[in-house]
Amino acid sequence: MLIENIKLAFNAMRGSKMRTVLSLLGIVIGVASVVAILTIGDSASKSITDSIAVGGLDMVTIFPSSGQRSSGIFDEAFGDMLRSDVDGVGAVLPQNSSNARIRNGKESVSASVSGVLSTYGSTLNLEYAEGEFFSAIDNINRRQVVVLGSGIAADLFPGQEAVGQYVSLFRTQAKSYLVVGVLESKDATFSLSYDRTVFIPYNTYSQRFIRTTSVGSYVVKIAEGYETIEVSDRITEYLDNIVGTDGYSIFSPASLAEMAEQITSTFSSFLALIAAISLLVGGIGIMNIMLVSVAERTKEIGVRKALGASPNVIRGQFLVEALTLTLLGGVLGIGLGSLLSLVVTNMLDWSLHLSYASFILAMGFSMFVGIFFGWYPAMKASRLDPIEALNYE
Amino acid sequence: MADSVIRLEDVSRYYLMGEFVVKALDGVSVDITRGEFTAIMGPSGSGKSTMMNLIGCLDTPTSGYIDIDGENTAGLNEAELAYIRNRKVGFIFQQFNLLGKLSALDNVITPLLYAGVSVRERKSRAIHALERVGLADRMDHRPNELSGGQKQRVAIARALVNNPTILLADEPTGALDSRTGGQIMELFEELNSEGRTVVLVTHDRDLGMRCHRQIHLRDGKVEA
Repeated sequence: MLIENIKLAFNAMRGSKMRTVLSLLGIVIGVASVVAILTIGDSASKSITDSIAVGGLDMVTIFPSSGQRSSGIFDEAFGDMLRSDVDGVGAVLPQNSSNARIRNGKESVSASVSGVLSTYGSTLNLEYAEGEFFSAIDNINRRQVVVLGSGIAADLFPGQEAVGQYVSLFRTQAKSYLVVGVLESKDATFSLSYDRTVFIPYNTYSQRFIRTTSVGSYVVKIAEGYETIEVSDRITEYLDNIVGTDGYSIFSPASLAEMAEQITSTFSSFLALIAAISLLVGGIGIMNIMLVSVAERTKEIGVRKALGASPNVIRGQFLVEALTLTLLGGVLGIGLGSLLSLVVTNMLDWSLHLSYASFILAMGFSMFVGIFFGWYPAMKASRLDPIEALNYE
Repeated sequence: MADSVIRLEDVSRYYLMGEFVVKALDGVSVDITRGEFTAIMGPSGSGKSTMMNLIGCLDTPTSGYIDIDGENTAGLNEAELAYIRNRKVGFIFQQFNLLGKLSALDNVITPLLYAGVSVRERKSRAIHALERVGLADRMDHRPNELSGGQKQRVAIARALVNNPTILLADEPTGALDSRTGGQIMELFEELNSEGRTVVLVTHDRDLGMRCHRQIHLRDGKVEA
């Protein structure tokens, strides 16, 4: 009976192709938008996570508040304390930064100058276009050496090798620094980009660049096998107890990634909801075509009733027809939505992550629309008076 | 009484037309036994269509009782009436009323669908019914590819396929030329001679007189 009803449904669709296509369009567009929005949203959050992973998902940075600088907690021994007190903390790298101008001959640009330990480069897996990071000896001897971010190197030494050359760093007075390395440029949407940063040895910074004994920030590497966000939460809890919530701030690409993912998924769910409304509108189109179909086939309904079709059988026939329509629309919509997602993600250079959940959601919703909007026309058909229906011309 | 197939007992059917009550059928009692070939005759408006609709369980009486094949139809719901139409009555209409999008074979299969017959049996029974009316070679044709007489034969095959107790024909030759109509009438006579109860509704005197029994209706009552 079901097979016969599906055959009848396709018969009816063939009989009025244009009308079928037009009313299907509502469902197709609705389903396609839901699928495309959810798929593109998924792909967006995946690509955000990927780009954050490039910037170091296993890293958090702690910034002591200015009032805490002299408290004696955030000194060079803080790293050892944090490592021993908080589970999952790997290397802790102190860092001091400020802005300065940097010059080579007539070229002069502003840069963020960071004083860091020689292990900074290897701990953060920095890659070099030229040369390498400075050594522990450079730090101990407070040598005036510098590693340039790729953007700075490109500005000061366009088309030239920078390693082996000297640049001037200005703070209160100009000092000459030997370039020992240039970083590879790196895209990082949600992490620190080092393109506009230059690194000098920590001790050189403290003693010669700006005289200071406190630490501006700590880069904390999360130990292997630990979840960044969990360790980050433990650090937060630990520091809240020692210096209070106002005593520091913490920056974690992983928590940012999580937030970005949450925002993307909330946003795409919201858009999908709007698209779902268009699916409802499509459902009204289905109801319309079904009502027309019932009216046009009044005579047929009368004949079928005379041949012994009960009201349930007639209702079933028209419900199956509505369902066949919407499910067909659903399948076409999933195809179109996937194609749309492919085009958009290709244009934005994201990798495509087909949202299978959205396929199931879309099919479920199509079925719901078919039953919901097919019910009334089917009921109407089943309740037709057989004699009136037979005499209908 | 045991062989009574159609029994109407003081049956009335009133319609409300605005403020007027139209007595389409007014206290009719009729008994038709198995194997009879009966004509229900009368001018238009005499109530013969109403009577056919009531016998065919497409309609229910305002008052009175109708037994079909020994079964009282009073108080049956729509689904139960549909069951009786499906199993006990074979309809043949003046305008054939074939389903235009289906082949002759699928048209004949349709009542079997509602009877819940298995796929294989459906097909063999439908082919057999088409053979009976001499149209086995046309079973894949759509109604619009058939002549009037052929259409009516398909309709008769469709009426026969579920082996009903009663064949109920409403002006079955009304849309056909006299020669073709005569052939259809011969087919009814054959079916009747095989023992099938046939009820023919017509206003045509000559046609009516070919039946073995005539029930004349006038103004909703049976004429003596």
